[in-house]
Amino acid sequence: MRVANMVPDMEYAVQQSQQALSAALQQVSTGLRVNKPSDDPGASASMVISLASSANVDQYTSNVSAIQSQMQTADSAINAVVTSLNTAITLAGAGSTSTASLANDQALAAQAQGILSNVISQANTSYQGVYLFAGSASSTPPFVAASTTYNSQNGSAAAPLSTTSPLTAGSVTTINDASTGQAFNFTAAAGDTITDLENAISAATAAGTLSTGTTATINTKGELAISSKSGIVASSNDPVLGSMRAGFGTEVPNTYAYVGNSTVNSVQVGDSTTVATNVPGDQLFTLGANVIGSLKGLITALQSGNSSVVAAGGAAVSAALNYVSQQRVPLDNTISQLSDQDSFLNQETLTLTTHQTALVGVNLATAATSLSQAELDNAAVLAAAAKVLPQTLLNYLVPG
Amino acid sequence: MSSISSVLSTAVQSLLADTGALQVTNDNIANANTPGYSRQVPIFQEAAPANDGSFSVGNGVVLEGYQSVRDELVSNQIQQETQSQSSANAQLNTLQQIQPTFTTSTEDIGTEMSALFTSLSSLSTNPTSSAERQGVLTAGSDLVAAFNSASSVLTTQQAALNSPVDQDVSQINQLTQQIAALNPQIAELTASGQNGGSLQDQQNQLALQLSALTNVSTIQTANGETLTTGNGTPLVVGSQSYALQTATGSDGMQHVLDQNGTDITGALSSGDLGGTIQMRDHTIPGLLSQLDTLASQFGNAFNAAQAKGFDQNGAAGGNFFTVPATVAGSAGAISMAITDPTKIAASSDGTAGSNGNVANLSAVQTNLLPSGNTPAEGYANLVYQVGSLTSNANAESTATTASLLQLNDQLSSVSGVSIDQEATNLITFQTAYQAAARVVSTVQAMFEVTMAMGTAAAD
Repeated sequence: MRVANMVPDMEYAVQQSQQALSAALQQVSTGLRVNKPSDDPGASASMVISLASSANVDQYTSNVSAIQSQMQTADSAINAVVTSLNTAITLAGAGSTSTASLANDQALAAQAQGILSNVISQANTSYQGVYLFAGSASSTPPFVAASTTYNSQNGSAAAPLSTTSPLTAGSVTTINDASTGQAFNFTAAAGDTITDLENAISAATAAGTLSTGTTATINTKGELAISSKSGIVASSNDPVLGSMRAGFGTEVPNTYAYVGNSTVNSVQVGDSTTVATNVPGDQLFTLGANVIGSLKGLITALQSGNSSVVAAGGAAVSAALNYVSQQRVPLDNTISQLSDQDSFLNQETLTLTTHQTALVGVNLATAATSLSQAELDNAAVLAAAAKVLPQTLLNYLVPG
Repeated sequence: MSSISSVLSTAVQSLLADTGALQVTNDNIANANTPGYSRQVPIFQEAAPANDGSFSVGNGVVLEGYQSVRDELVSNQIQQETQSQSSANAQLNTLQQIQPTFTTSTEDIGTEMSALFTSLSSLSTNPTSSAERQGVLTAGSDLVAAFNSASSVLTTQQAALNSPVDQDVSQINQLTQQIAALNPQIAELTASGQNGGSLQDQQNQLALQLSALTNVSTIQTANGETLTTGNGTPLVVGSQSYALQTATGSDGMQHVLDQNGTDITGALSSGDLGGTIQMRDHTIPGLLSQLDTLASQFGNAFNAAQAKGFDQNGAAGGNFFTVPATVAGSAGAISMAITDPTKIAASSDGTAGSNGNVANLSAVQTNLLPSGNTPAEGYANLVYQVGSLTSNANAESTATTASLLQLNDQLSSVSGVSIDQEATNLITFQTAYQAAARVVSTVQAMFEVTMAMGTAAAD
């Protein structure tokens, strides 16, 4: 084929070699084979999915760390409760001997009261502002000292509330009973009055949700008074009533109501793995063998000085100890599971990183070799162009 | 009968012929680098012999004219390939502007979507934390910004492609006018048996420039070149050119109309104009549709999950995103519906400390949207689409460039000026001229001898 002009071919060859050189250089400098979607559309699309997985794994790892700290704090609190219960059992043992004196029993009762206070303190443990044994009502302490009477903030002799006073639709009035361990909630409907609240309380009492004798009346001060001999904690967000306050001097000794709930939160620590992050306080301390109730019973028994009653009280505390120990097992298992999950997630991170490198990364040794080859090719093309292009027949013709 | 005069005449004709040949060689050398120039060769013809008694004697050489050396087939192939290359380049240029938006970074849609779900997961460990809640809001805002930005890039690129449409049509009209003006001149030359020469070269170059702009079909007629678009719309017929026009359509885009006002936008499939229209009217709208569908379905799915829970104040969860009622434009219009972190519906039972609804919000990441994909898969499909389109356009551009190089080499092998060959021709024609000049000198000497015959000088 007649070749008229080699310049276009040379230009194309130089351009091609320079493009190859540029590509090789970029791979070596970035360590990536795929820098943009057009480099490998399939790999780029797969990377989107893989990076999302990596982000999830990183978050799961953070979640594990956050939950571990929280659950270890909860476990420490339960451990302290176990220690307290063991001490209480020892006190019961001392108080149940036939030689124990009343004075001695009174002293033991005082110690038992201290143990109860300590258990309540542990039950109200918080971690970073969150009460660990309150269920999902975690912004306030779950165990509150019960009183026989709670009065509304609103209402006075001059402007008393009345049974016909309308309640705010949607407002909630709650009574937590220290004896039954249950919660009564009244959500006011449109048109409801205080009478409806009173009637609802009566019904709850009849149903056993609230202790026998729990009442709601308008007292002489014009306030709504909710009363219960066994001890309650009441609250309301109805602006008609205002907040509910414990009556002065009406606190029931050694008696606490649970104002949390039974909600268990779960946190995802793996694509298919979630763990419960809390144990509700009622489940641990008031239901089952009733830790708080057993301690209160022991205090009462020691105050009575009756050794057989004290012995029975000690047995109840022992049962409570066994119960708490059993309730602790799932928590300890979760802590252990989190540790295993942490190791698994570390492995997952490595696997994903390896996968991503395979998708878009480049073997640096191979890339370096390719760069060297591209440099050689470019030098050869340039040398060839420099050699060939200036030459024509005119260079050889002798003028004349 | 041969005579000194006839010898001289033959030598003179030779000198003239060689001078003409040198002229065309000089012209070839001068135009060695002129784009579209077809080398010319002198057409030598042996002069009719003269009868000299019983035998005939050659009468020398006649320079009949010059012939441009062309290959019309290869020229047509180059025009076709130029159309493909220009179309590919137009599409590649736009796609390269779009691609960075879908390249993994700290702000692309995929990354921001992941960040939203990881912020939710973090919130689940402490649902009452205002910092964690603000983190979710921030992640939501960033995702909205990513959607808005991607939509803006696509719509801006689409709108920007209206300007090249106007420019290309204007250039097409200029070129067709010039081609039409050349037709009668070339037709006159060829009718008289002459070579089209430089006029034909000019017209071929104009046709090539036109091919870079749009798909044209060329037919050679007695009146010159007839050019039409791919759907048969005439552009040049004889000495008449037919101008195209542009007008803004109801879609806000520039449409191309023929001389009768008929919309031929859809028929323009190649060249820079065809590639631009393909991107503006098909490729970008396709990408926008996918993006809008993803934004709409994702936003609605997330809002539905919000509605299943309660916010920090115990109220039923409201919308997290504000999503337009129509899918079209969703990516550009999606916005945050809340600015208060307490409005995030993490709770499943109305208490502030419950995280039960976070599971529903997180499940949006793994549940299939109505499109049949998870959100990440939907975005991955977009990334693949953009990458594939860009890669294909790049490959087409590279392939047509290589193909054009080969075709131009082929054409150059026929029509191109070889300095080596012209140098050889110079020597050839110079030598022939010198030889003819020597003959003239010899004849001159013979004349002098003849004139001097019978004189003292002759002695």
